[in-house]
Amino acid sequence: MKRVKKFFKEDIPFFFAFPAMLWQILFLYVPLFILFGYSLFTYVPVLGKNVFSLQHYLQLFKPAYFKVAANSFWLAIETTVICILVAYPTAYFVALQMRLKKMRTLFIFFLMLPSWMNFIVQVYAWFFLLKKESVLSLLLYKIGLTSEPINMLNNHFSMLVGMVYCYLPFMILPLYSVLEKMDKKLIEASADLGANRFQTFKKVTLPLSMPGLLVGLFLVFIPAFGEFAIPDLLGGAKNAYWGTIIVDKFMKYRNWQSGSAVGLSSVLFPLIVIVSLYGAYRLISFLRRRNVYKNVGSK
Amino acid sequence: MISNKNIFSRWVNLCITVGTYIFLYVPVVVIVLFSFNKSDVSIKWQGFSLKWYAKLFSSPEILSAFKVSITVAIWATLLSVVIGTCFVVAISWWKSRFVTLLFYPNIVLPEIVLAIGILSMFAFLKVPLGYTSLIVGHTLIGLGFVIPIVRARFIELDPILTEASLDLGATYFTTFKKVLLPLMSPSLIASALIAFTLSLDDFLISFFCSSPKVETLSIYVYAQLKSMVDPTINAISTCFLVLSSVGIIVLCAFKVVDQVLTHE
Repeated sequence: MKRVKKFFKEDIPFFFAFPAMLWQILFLYVPLFILFGYSLFTYVPVLGKNVFSLQHYLQLFKPAYFKVAANSFWLAIETTVICILVAYPTAYFVALQMRLKKMRTLFIFFLMLPSWMNFIVQVYAWFFLLKKESVLSLLLYKIGLTSEPINMLNNHFSMLVGMVYCYLPFMILPLYSVLEKMDKKLIEASADLGANRFQTFKKVTLPLSMPGLLVGLFLVFIPAFGEFAIPDLLGGAKNAYWGTIIVDKFMKYRNWQSGSAVGLSSVLFPLIVIVSLYGAYRLISFLRRRNVYKNVGSK
Repeated sequence: MISNKNIFSRWVNLCITVGTYIFLYVPVVVIVLFSFNKSDVSIKWQGFSLKWYAKLFSSPEILSAFKVSITVAIWATLLSVVIGTCFVVAISWWKSRFVTLLFYPNIVLPEIVLAIGILSMFAFLKVPLGYTSLIVGHTLIGLGFVIPIVRARFIELDPILTEASLDLGATYFTTFKKVLLPLMSPSLIASALIAFTLSLDDFLISFFCSSPKVETLSIYVYAQLKSMVDPTINAISTCFLVLSSVGIIVLCAFKVVDQVLTHE
């Protein structure tokens, strides 16, 4: 055993780890610092040089940006809520209620398959389904739901459909992996002890699936806030979204300093929301637990 | 029986699950179907034809975009698997989770932030955008998946095998080649496939880090969507679908999906 330890610890030179670390530092961590650095400086034409200021961050709180942030937050919240409402029962069913236990991997495989298609192709698929002369609009017309083949593209609905389509697997997978690993006896125990369905869900299943839900939130809510392609292609680019602003600042106006501030805040804003939500959840459950114990103590 | 103690009855969940599958597959099926359609208007089914595929392979723009996509994907896969594996092996004695934590941002950070980061880095170094920036970005994404997967497998390996090989007089290099590498190969193939598919799928990094001369297929499709759409895109989409399904089927064959799901 000693020899094996020596083999890995001493004989394999440490510098084999360097390429990956260098790559990571050079192209991920340093760029983040560069972005942060950019965002802290403002070019002043009168002086002809860059001056340190927090202006790019302060301007994010102006009404114009506030409206964009509200749009993006609203879109991200809608997407996340719909994703949770659809993903939880689906993951629950596949993980716990399916009779064909051996087929589980296959079912998960089919859930993942569409999300392995090119992102733009996924968006295009809905573009193709929702445009005016499409199968879907013709079908709705034929069965008499609409008086003529309608265009379902370029509105809030089409955008939302695209968002949910692209982000749904990222909510299902983490939820599935926690639910699948959960001890099923706990549900039975809770029921045996007299809890009804909703109590069991609230006190047992939900707290145990919280890690998966949290991962799902990270994978859905944060990127959904900064999403650019779906509002642009399916939403008809009517409203400005946070992602649109990042792209405009970098590609159109070439204002990288302001763009960096917007880009970094596209992670920061939703992160603050998630962390404070989770904090509130923990605080409430902590207070409730303390109350329970107090009551027990007084009795 | 658990089912009657669950929050929703089995039937409600079954309906929602079936709905999810329909929602996920209707667009896919429609697109694949219409890529074989004869009609130009793309609404009426006029019979089977392969003409959009023929058009696809005769368009120089699409072919060059395809070439860029494949080249970048191959390079990104090779780089991320090789340097990722070197990293995992060289640092394997360090048991702490902190090692893989270093590579979490690649997955967790939104791609748009990675993309503008790489863009500003390349501007900072005054390197022109093109193949280099695309490969750099896609390798970064690949590393985020390669390292946890390869490491998960590597940690499971029995150290006795390495010891036996060394005891039997094999050199370090032979031990690595004959013992460790074959044992790790399922995870290497799996992570290579994941890296390759992710690189093909990527849009945002390609969007920010490509130059007008070097465009990937997703940028081409995006540009088409912005201007005018013709059924050739259906054919491209079907090709993408076939490529990624092949990848994921091989992944399932190696049971990696299970592994990733239970480890992460």
